Amino acid sequence: MEETISLKEIFEVLKKRIWMIIAVTGGAAVISAIVTFFVLTPTYQASTQFIVNQSASQQEESPYDINDIRTNVELINTYNVIIKSPAILDQVIESLNLDISSDVLSNKIQVASAEQSQVVTVTVTDESRAMAVELANSTVETFQETIPDLMSVNNVNILSPAEQVENPQPVSPKPMLNIAIALVVGLMVGVGLAFLLEYLDNTVKTEQDIEKTLGLPLMGVISTVSEEDLGPETMNRHTSRASKVRGESVGT
Amino acid sequence: MVRKSRKKQVAMKARKIIANDNPKSPIAEQYRTIRANLQFASVDKELQSLLITSAGPSEGKSMTSANMAAVFAQQGKRVLLVDADLRKPTVHHSFRLNNTKGLSNFLVGRQTLKETTQITAVDNLDVLPSGPIPPNPSELLGSKAMHKLMMEARQSYDLLILDTPPVLAVSDSQVLAREVDGVMLVVRSGQTEFQAAERAKELLEQSKANLLGVVLNDREKKNSNYYYYYGNS
Repeated sequence: MEETISLKEIFEVLKKRIWMIIAVTGGAAVISAIVTFFVLTPTYQASTQFIVNQSASQQEESPYDINDIRTNVELINTYNVIIKSPAILDQVIESLNLDISSDVLSNKIQVASAEQSQVVTVTVTDESRAMAVELANSTVETFQETIPDLMSVNNVNILSPAEQVENPQPVSPKPMLNIAIALVVGLMVGVGLAFLLEYLDNTVKTEQDIEKTLGLPLMGVISTVSEEDLGPETMNRHTSRASKVRGESVGT
Repeated sequence: MVRKSRKKQVAMKARKIIANDNPKSPIAEQYRTIRANLQFASVDKELQSLLITSAGPSEGKSMTSANMAAVFAQQGKRVLLVDADLRKPTVHHSFRLNNTKGLSNFLVGRQTLKETTQITAVDNLDVLPSGPIPPNPSELLGSKAMHKLMMEARQSYDLLILDTPPVLAVSDSQVLAREVDGVMLVVRSGQTEFQAAERAKELLEQSKANLLGVVLNDREKKNSNYYYYYGNS
């Protein structure tokens, strides 16, 4: 069936199912809010930054040698891997008396450095802010202590340790973001559903439908009967008839 | 749930003959429009018998038949409304008549047309209810007796309106379609499916019915507002 959908028809479909769309959108937002606030455990992040640079003794001669800087930047790639390796993490777990494996801990740690910079940021995500701070600091400290043994250089300096803050904000879940996403998804699903229902509904609806698809002339249209169309009570019919009969009999 | 309650409401309302109870209502006016269109549609040969049917059940056949009968009667024609639905008769409900004798009695030859028809509250409108439900409606309706009834009724009435069972469910209306001058198909907006309506049209055409046209029933009001408030104080 060849069909062109005009803008007006699209609008009609949306208008007809506007409450369904609103309900789906609202429902999605409410579900997302409930999940965000009651189901998901909030997680917190803490970051520690360290800088990779030659120690003071090594850089007396030429403090800003371009090659040294480049070497350091490239070393960072290696360091990123080392930080997340069990060699470091096992020590962290031991020192903090944690009951988790190094794999689990590794998943909580993100190491990132800005391009071409000597600063590396270690971010730890955990369900407890205090634990995140402790893990971040402990990891970087352990790394700093261990790196001279591993690489026989001592060029890691802690730039800014993670700090405890009061009333920390969880990084995840983000209620506003989740609800906004749910709203948009809900709206899309609602609109999609409206069109799907419209497409699946193959009933005759309008005068045009009859002439277009049945090819029969339309004799007339009866609109939905409402209370006001019914007029006075049914009883009137009988009473009026009774009086008429009586009138006739009197007259004739 | 909404749909169900709405259906029930409409079914209850179908028991009223709006064209007679509230002749000034827009609904009654819409029936008069159909009356006019029917008269235009049958210029060459006068429309003396009209069969009203639909594709499926509960699409508004009985309500349309009763109201059409009423508007034709209001025009001064002597109208006989025949309840040819010998399976689920409803016309006697609409007019609050008893159904102890009617069409089926006539068809088995026990009663005459005079004995079986009943007058109604609407002037010029008589009703032939279905009578007791027989076990073989299709055979009865296709019988010579039915043909005889049509002939007989044509002599004393200007117009016969037949309320029949749905086309897709049983063959009754196809059988009857040969006996009448015109057939009108009732389609309920939002309920009748395209395929069903098309199939009904095919079946009626196969039985050589003179399909006059379609009535779209239960059309949502808001889109046809322009009928309203005209001379309706």
